[in-house]
Amino acid sequence: MSNVPSDWEVVIGLEVHVQLRTRAKVFASSPWGFGQEPNEQVDPVVLGLPGTLPVVNREAVEKSILFGLVVGAEIPERCAWDRKNYFYPDNPKNYQLTQKDFPVVVGGQVEIELPGASRNVMGEHKFIRIHHAHLEEDVGKLSHAGSGSLVDYNRAGVPLLEIVTEPDLRSAAEAEAFLRSLVAMLTQAGVADCDMEKGQLRCDCNVSVRRRGAEKLGTRTETKNLNSISSVRDTVIYETARQIRELEAGRTITQETRGWNAELARGYVLRDKEDAHDYRYFPDPDIPTLKISRETVARLAKQVPENLYDRQRRYVEKLGLPYTAASVLVNDRALAEWFEAAVAAHPANPSGIANLVANDLLRDLAASAGAAGAFDESASAPVSLSSCPIKPAQLAGLVKLTDDGVISKQQAKEVFAEMFKTGKDAAAIVDAKGLRQNSDTGELEKIVREVIADPSVAKSIAEYRAGNEKAINALKGPIMKRTQGKANPGLIDQLLRKALG
Amino acid sequence: MAEGFDIDHLAKLARLSLTAEEKALYSAQLGQILGHFQALADADLPATIDDARVVDEAALRSDEPGPVLGAEAVTRVAPASRDGQISVPRVVDDES
Repeated sequence: MSNVPSDWEVVIGLEVHVQLRTRAKVFASSPWGFGQEPNEQVDPVVLGLPGTLPVVNREAVEKSILFGLVVGAEIPERCAWDRKNYFYPDNPKNYQLTQKDFPVVVGGQVEIELPGASRNVMGEHKFIRIHHAHLEEDVGKLSHAGSGSLVDYNRAGVPLLEIVTEPDLRSAAEAEAFLRSLVAMLTQAGVADCDMEKGQLRCDCNVSVRRRGAEKLGTRTETKNLNSISSVRDTVIYETARQIRELEAGRTITQETRGWNAELARGYVLRDKEDAHDYRYFPDPDIPTLKISRETVARLAKQVPENLYDRQRRYVEKLGLPYTAASVLVNDRALAEWFEAAVAAHPANPSGIANLVANDLLRDLAASAGAAGAFDESASAPVSLSSCPIKPAQLAGLVKLTDDGVISKQQAKEVFAEMFKTGKDAAAIVDAKGLRQNSDTGELEKIVREVIADPSVAKSIAEYRAGNEKAINALKGPIMKRTQGKANPGLIDQLLRKALG
Repeated sequence: MAEGFDIDHLAKLARLSLTAEEKALYSAQLGQILGHFQALADADLPATIDDARVVDEAALRSDEPGPVLGAEAVTRVAPASRDGQISVPRVVDDES
């Protein structure tokens, strides 16, 4: 963890680049996807060949608007694209199409949850403001080999939403919590997949420090192209320590662009302000200003899923779930909806259902899927429910059998394992295995009477009547034996106490 | 330094090395061009001029993947290539 001296405060702002979930590129019809042979997903528009014109992909615009609605942002009536000019071979046109003055999304906020004191305690919640988000094109990929560099334009033109926060983050832990929350919102709304291993989410991280209580922000540095949540966290810790060390030694912070070496866990200077690029932005003459109708915004608003923390609050407050289970369920929208379908089939015991879903079901799904590729090395990977052999109503059936006392909780674990293996209903497994507890009161009463009439248990009965509560347990064994273990333990206890008066 | 710009900085950004004569010549010419734009900026134009360039969502393309050129065609138009990639002089600045 970071150890920031108490008289210093760190101020962090993030620029998060997210590849949107579309089939075609943002201004061209070329398809895109990870892991293709170099330059196989390129068309004349991507290369900016003479005579070509960019046309904006509707899906990319709608995914951007949907993101805005998820974070409660304003969707301006008009958005426009600009050219950001620079000479670098990752871009075949010598300019990147981006949005400088009229972005598609303005404002909004993301709720975050900090880690609690322990796993079963909820941490502090905070809102991080979004300044804006703009829709631009990704650039090509360079690899450096010997005296030259090689260029692959497959990634050039992939729709990229750049989400820019206000400088509201105050620690590495907050930056980490923000990214986790953002990723959950983007994936749950279907805006993006955010697979960091495929480079679908990359961050630029602005860090400055100031004396606590100071109003003026310190000089900031920008560390570019961080491709994992842990790199962002480590960069914040590293930059904070470095800047405080410099300032306490009486030196100043230079406004500079930095890189991060994840292997060596250290940052390095890319260029200082003197070398800062002048991008000579101007409105792109090829793409007209786009008017976004309020009907489109209203239609997309219907696709906004329940906010993850609203859902968590509902689970804890309305359904009575423990925080631990609720926090696991809400991270995965499909899992949460699966859980809700089970609750709909058996509304009496949401906690019992949540317990089986968050523990047994997730464990068995993960084991059957093997380790899934995760965007985030420390969070549990989203599991695939599409191959889940148990249907929500079937799990509800199992919990109901337990609640009705037909089987014990211990037996429920056994039945669950069988359900996961075979996909059969709980009741069918209980019958086939002869697990059904005997809840026939009349028959049980008769057995209870016979057992307590046996002289060998007279001593235990006397002790129980003398006030030794535990002595009653000695009577349960013989009853269980007579019923071949099928009697409901709760019912035995009840009938015994009644018979012994 | 001419009014409003620094010719040395502009030359650096444009990757041009200019002689003193060229700097003087281009400073004067660029000053005239910028003066012309200033005259345009000063003109009192109606706000509706922007509307000529506004389209609605009907002008968007659908998210349908279309044909690609293929790596062979892409690299054929480049001066140099290797293994399906375009070969360029080594670049160090990590721009993105």
